Amino acid sequence: MINSIFRFGLIFILLILLQVLLFNNIQFSGYVNPYVYVMFILLLPVEIPSWLLLLLSFAAGLVMDFFSGTPGMHSSATLLAGFVRPYILRIISPRDGYEPGSAPSMLIYGFRWFLLYTLLIVFVHHTALFYLEVFRFADFFSTLMRVLFSSLFSITFILFIEYYRRGK
Amino acid sequence: MRNLLNFLTRYNNLIIFLILEGIAVYLLATGNNYHNTRVVNGIRGLTRGIEERINNTRNYLNLREVNKTLAEENSTLKNRISDMAKKENSLFFSVSDSIYNQQYNYTSAEVIENSVNRQKNFFTLNKGERQGVKEDMAVTFGNSVAGVIVGCSENYSVAMSLINLDFKLSARIKSNGYFGSLNWDGSDIRHAILSEIPQHVTVNAGDTIETTGYSAIFPEGVMIGTVSDFEKIGGDFYKITVSLITDFKKLHFVEIIGNMKKTEQLEIEKLFQ
Repeated sequence: MINSIFRFGLIFILLILLQVLLFNNIQFSGYVNPYVYVMFILLLPVEIPSWLLLLLSFAAGLVMDFFSGTPGMHSSATLLAGFVRPYILRIISPRDGYEPGSAPSMLIYGFRWFLLYTLLIVFVHHTALFYLEVFRFADFFSTLMRVLFSSLFSITFILFIEYYRRGK
Repeated sequence: MRNLLNFLTRYNNLIIFLILEGIAVYLLATGNNYHNTRVVNGIRGLTRGIEERINNTRNYLNLREVNKTLAEENSTLKNRISDMAKKENSLFFSVSDSIYNQQYNYTSAEVIENSVNRQKNFFTLNKGERQGVKEDMAVTFGNSVAGVIVGCSENYSVAMSLINLDFKLSARIKSNGYFGSLNWDGSDIRHAILSEIPQHVTVNAGDTIETTGYSAIFPEGVMIGTVSDFEKIGGDFYKITVSLITDFKKLHFVEIIGNMKKTEQLEIEKLFQ
């Protein structure tokens, strides 16, 4: 228990630092701003109680908001991602169900499953985030382009990090 | 009562979600308005230490660039001095009274936090009310437009960047004086859109776009950029793409410009509206 709190705390700090110091500085043709810190929500154990998941995702968003000076923007998006995660896990559950006490990782459930899982949650998060940022539907399609391109990059980076984690 | 408890246990996740989402949306609705800087400044206070440290490192890496711009600025200022000296020495000179006619005052500030990858970008400056900075003052970066101050605390102020969807600026084509309104379309931080220029005007790629001074915020003739592309859209107006001079990723030492006659101008304008 204590061990896993420590572990996820460390993952949390590392991901936030990575986001603030590296990914927040990426500006690529105006359409690509990857938000890789969502990976924190992806990595939490499968059997985590939903209320704790909600609180943790809210906290993650709030910390990001502190760093980017956008109160409420990241927190509402991550909260939504945390809220839909149990449903997504149920929809894409593998044939034999989830192993008790396991984390949703590429090592256990395979590359394709992890890709689908990442894709769905990152897309939900990015959609909420970018539309909240613009806060109007006037430029619907250009915002959609930003969602798609940024999701593509976020997913690539998350898969890369997950692959590296698996390697260890 | 039991039904209520049943309801609460069954939908507790939804309830937690809705409460937290409510908090988030409340923050979004109240705090994102940068005129209301209290929340923002409170929150920024927590991370300012870290930001300043990151910023220091970045500054160190950019020193070469900064030196270059400072040297260029020095040379232009020196040229201006020699121009003025000439005027003073000639026998007949027009009176350019620098005390009673002064309209704008300038102060320099350092950008300590900057964003370029959002739709509504702001940057934070290290001067605030105590140093005489007020809302609606102009911010320039090497004599080109950077933003407008939208909120001040005691020692810091937040400026809305030109690359912000809410930013609007009155701008004109230098060669023929036709003016329109300039804003950012949210896609590329190196380009902005100038609209409301009528189609009978001749526009050429490469034309200089500068401020008009009508808004009483920016002085007249501050550079914005050059025309990179233009097309005729429906109606009678051009849609002109302006390539911006300011590189918003490199904002560092900026100038804050206050208009001392702004209240006077606004008052007289108010009389006729």
